[in-house]
Amino acid sequence: MTALGIDPRHVVFSGDTTEEQGRQWGRGRGVVDCCYPVKCMSGHYGELIFGQKRKIDILLSPMIRSLPSVLNGHVAKSLACPRVMAAPENIKAGFMKERDVFAEAGIRHVAPLVSLAEPPLAAKELHLALRDVLPGLRPAETRKAVEAGFAALADFGDSIRARSREVLAWCARGERPCILVLARPYHMDPGIGHEIEVDLQAYGYPILWGQYLPIDPDLMNWLFGDDITSEVLRSPLDIRDVWPSSYSGNTNEILWAAKVGARLPWVTCVIRLTSYECGMDQPTFTPVQQIVERSGTLFFSFQDLDATKPAGSVKIRVETIAYYLERASADIIRTKKERMTAPCPLVEAASRGKLQSSASEA
Amino acid sequence: MKVVGMDVGSTTVKAILVEDGLIRWQDYQRHNTRQAETVLAFLLRMEAESGLAPGADLILFTGSGSGFIHPLVGGKFVQEVVAVAAAVEKFHPEVSFVSEIGGEDMKTIFFAPSGAGRSKQVYMQSACSGGTGTFIEKTARKLQIAPDALAEMTYQGRTLHKISSKCGIFAEADANTLVKGGVPVEEIIASLFEAVVHQNLATLTKGNTPSPEVLLLGGPNLFFKGLQEAWRYHLERIWAERRVSVPDKDPGSLVRVPADALYYASIGCVEIGGTGAGTGALYQGTDKLRWWIGEGQHAQKAKEGTSGLVSNDGELARFLERYAPDGRRRTPGAKPEQGEGGSVPTGQPALIGCDFGSTTAKAVVLAPDKRLLFSGYASSKGNPIEDARDLFRQIHRAGFRNIGAVALTGYGKDLLKDIVGADVGIVETVAHARAALHVFPDADVICDVGGCDVKVMILRQGTVADFRLNSQCSSGNGAFLQGVAERYGVPLESYAEHAFAAKSVPALAMGCGVFLQSDIVNQQRKGWSADEIMASLAAVLPLNVWVYACQLQNLRAVGRKFVLQGGTHLNLAVVKAQVDFITGKVPDAEIVIHPYSGEAGAIGAALCALDAWQAGAPSRFRGFEAIERLNYKTTTDDRTTCHWCSCNCKRTFIDVEVPHSAGRPWSRVPAQAGWARVITGNSCPKGLVEDAGEMRLVKARMEEAKREYPNVGDMVRAQAFRRVKATV
Repeated sequence: MTALGIDPRHVVFSGDTTEEQGRQWGRGRGVVDCCYPVKCMSGHYGELIFGQKRKIDILLSPMIRSLPSVLNGHVAKSLACPRVMAAPENIKAGFMKERDVFAEAGIRHVAPLVSLAEPPLAAKELHLALRDVLPGLRPAETRKAVEAGFAALADFGDSIRARSREVLAWCARGERPCILVLARPYHMDPGIGHEIEVDLQAYGYPILWGQYLPIDPDLMNWLFGDDITSEVLRSPLDIRDVWPSSYSGNTNEILWAAKVGARLPWVTCVIRLTSYECGMDQPTFTPVQQIVERSGTLFFSFQDLDATKPAGSVKIRVETIAYYLERASADIIRTKKERMTAPCPLVEAASRGKLQSSASEA
Repeated sequence: MKVVGMDVGSTTVKAILVEDGLIRWQDYQRHNTRQAETVLAFLLRMEAESGLAPGADLILFTGSGSGFIHPLVGGKFVQEVVAVAAAVEKFHPEVSFVSEIGGEDMKTIFFAPSGAGRSKQVYMQSACSGGTGTFIEKTARKLQIAPDALAEMTYQGRTLHKISSKCGIFAEADANTLVKGGVPVEEIIASLFEAVVHQNLATLTKGNTPSPEVLLLGGPNLFFKGLQEAWRYHLERIWAERRVSVPDKDPGSLVRVPADALYYASIGCVEIGGTGAGTGALYQGTDKLRWWIGEGQHAQKAKEGTSGLVSNDGELARFLERYAPDGRRRTPGAKPEQGEGGSVPTGQPALIGCDFGSTTAKAVVLAPDKRLLFSGYASSKGNPIEDARDLFRQIHRAGFRNIGAVALTGYGKDLLKDIVGADVGIVETVAHARAALHVFPDADVICDVGGCDVKVMILRQGTVADFRLNSQCSSGNGAFLQGVAERYGVPLESYAEHAFAAKSVPALAMGCGVFLQSDIVNQQRKGWSADEIMASLAAVLPLNVWVYACQLQNLRAVGRKFVLQGGTHLNLAVVKAQVDFITGKVPDAEIVIHPYSGEAGAIGAALCALDAWQAGAPSRFRGFEAIERLNYKTTTDDRTTCHWCSCNCKRTFIDVEVPHSAGRPWSRVPAQAGWARVITGNSCPKGLVEDAGEMRLVKARMEEAKREYPNVGDMVRAQAFRRVKATV
């Protein structure tokens, strides 16, 4: 947006999801969809349309078809969830059913289909969608802005992965346990994931998220070197050994992160979050659980998350997890470390050498 | 020719008879589950009073109860929404939204102009009591409000309280809490009306805006003045919010409740019959219906029933041999066992485990060699300090002096840990798992059915990997069984004996407890006996526990060794049903009952106390005398009222003198150093935090932990929505 010349102060985001937001702005704009991360978008739309100090001109709600991914090897596709992709049109309907709320408020609803896994295509798609609302917009200008966007995304990913590595190094130095969350990106939204991991953090465990695990070659070689030597994998970022139907971006990442969590000694517990009736997550429940548990790592899942935080049951569950974590973590770290043959790059001053196989297949 | 429209609903029968476009006869009656008898009485009266003639006139039926009746009198069946819509279209072409609330269902119809005619969008729900007439009446009965008074109670201007709109049984529980808190019944009833309208608008309109004009139909909408007011209030608010264009008419006339609101489905039947669609609706008289009432329904009963919990004496003997080898038919309500007895070996301490639940508190004493020496219980008196005193007094009287360690579990563990000086506070899932794994180290699943709750714990790697707790719906718990047994005057101790005597049982439907109650009345009327109904209720319990309350369809996936515990599993009829249900799903399942079914939580806690003692740390236990002498004062006033939500629970602060306690100098009810506070009377965990001031302290502590132990998700949130300059 900034690269297109839009003042960053003129870009507003809807807030974190809350039940209040849904009640105040989204009530009765109902969607016939059981997926809460889709349903809650009504509240976000309503907040942007009715809840801004200064009226917005454009409501940009991209229908993201595919996602960039760091994975490679046997990864067929990196598509977004089709339900979430279609959500902008679905939600829009709730604001146009009886009266055109967008027209009444003088707001343009812009919902381009965007293929983020294919940057050149994404630039074309965005140009087509934005040229009407940004008169005079040229394809070259859009391409440059898209490049800027991908650069920002790469920087963002790198910086977060670096922080994850720091957390792991801190754990490795002090033989301290941490928790890995396997979930979809929207579960980081406090209104969708209900901050369940925060309750565990309060017991004194750092929290890592599967999407942002470090992928530095030294660490990858340490974790997956044997698999590559024995040709089970072509790359540490491959999931062919566990997930053949690899077409969904977020699903692929969850499976990959489960493998990493199973190997990292300081990840003594994996928490799975999934929303009510998630058809994308359902087939992965057993594989993810088994990958994690066969390594001796504790595994707990919070399924069927919906609009309301089931506070009583979360409290009991969190206390249960904390009990077992406290009792079992030291043993889990020891057992998992014994399986590693090479010195750990997180504590050893090993060089961050090249990956054993090229990641250029991506 | 005369045309009859007969609406056989879940609670009433309504009928009209029309001749030459004029209503010649109409009536409605509550049928008290005697649907066929009420229909027969109506038909005989119509024949006598208005000349209804077999072989000449037409009759059309609608309503949930008419399915088996209409073939008996030659009538034709019309789906109820179709019938209501036909009447509305004929008499109210200007109406675009209809709500019809029945005894056990609710429907909405949206009419929209479409081409030359009008299109209909229909939504209906009949699976759950939330939002239906029964929902209101059940609670009103509990509050002992006469039907006439209920009809006149108002909504406008009343203070509203939060009442669960989802489940009638929970609404009743909420209403009880409100009554205890001193809320006037008028406000409770107004809150019920609010809950019904909310449930209709929130779930049944599916995002469509009900626009004027609106027609309210069905008994509850007609009879309850306050419900009409609630509808008007909410509809007018929605219209203003959504800027719906409202016709320039008297606002009162935009939401109408016709005087004959009860009869719309019947009127619709007549409309449909009168348009020539009446073929096949020729009234054939009452002979078959009389036969059905006299004989047919009993034959039907025999056909419908399924076989009893046991098919023969041999099966019962084998079952008892396996599950009650000592010949005792244990049942809930029986006093918990007094333990295996015996005493602690000389020089060794005793280990105490207590389970402070919401309704009862239990304690057990173990010897270091894990023998159960004593168990006791106290039913909750609403003051956890008194409950604790009661339990520890029992232990003391039993002669235990040297205590190695004390562990607490259950809801009260956080409140009482410091007060009694417990060494361990253990979450209930872990306590139950410890108790089960102690006896059955290879257990896969624990199913704990108590009086008021159902817990299923799935074990993997020796941990509670998953658990289900029924929190949305009261279906499947033991209190319901107890209630029915009480109604039949059967002591709980002999429940199983009665249930095993039944040779065949009616098929009760799984699910909503409110509807289960009316289904029982219905089955009873068909001639099923108390024994048979009790057996059937035990038989349906596993379905309610596993499928309805815990949503576990695939039992095979959770394991093969099942441990049954909790007070309800002292009832062998329930155990038999559980065994049949589980082996039906998992043929090689091994099903065992915990030897101390009702006290498993306390035993698990005692085992944790044993761990603590074995670890070698000296116990923090304050001693029996100190607990007996506990000095405390209670405060219940405006300052203790909880303001976290609109329930405004009247809490009680119990301040207990505990040496070295920090006190609460910042509180609105200050507690000095050396005093610890226990908060009770709250209906949810939020109320345990005193006020916004304490919340800030709690948050500050959490923030500190968060700084020390980072969450990568926080970093993502902070950075992703940060304004940045483009790098190109």
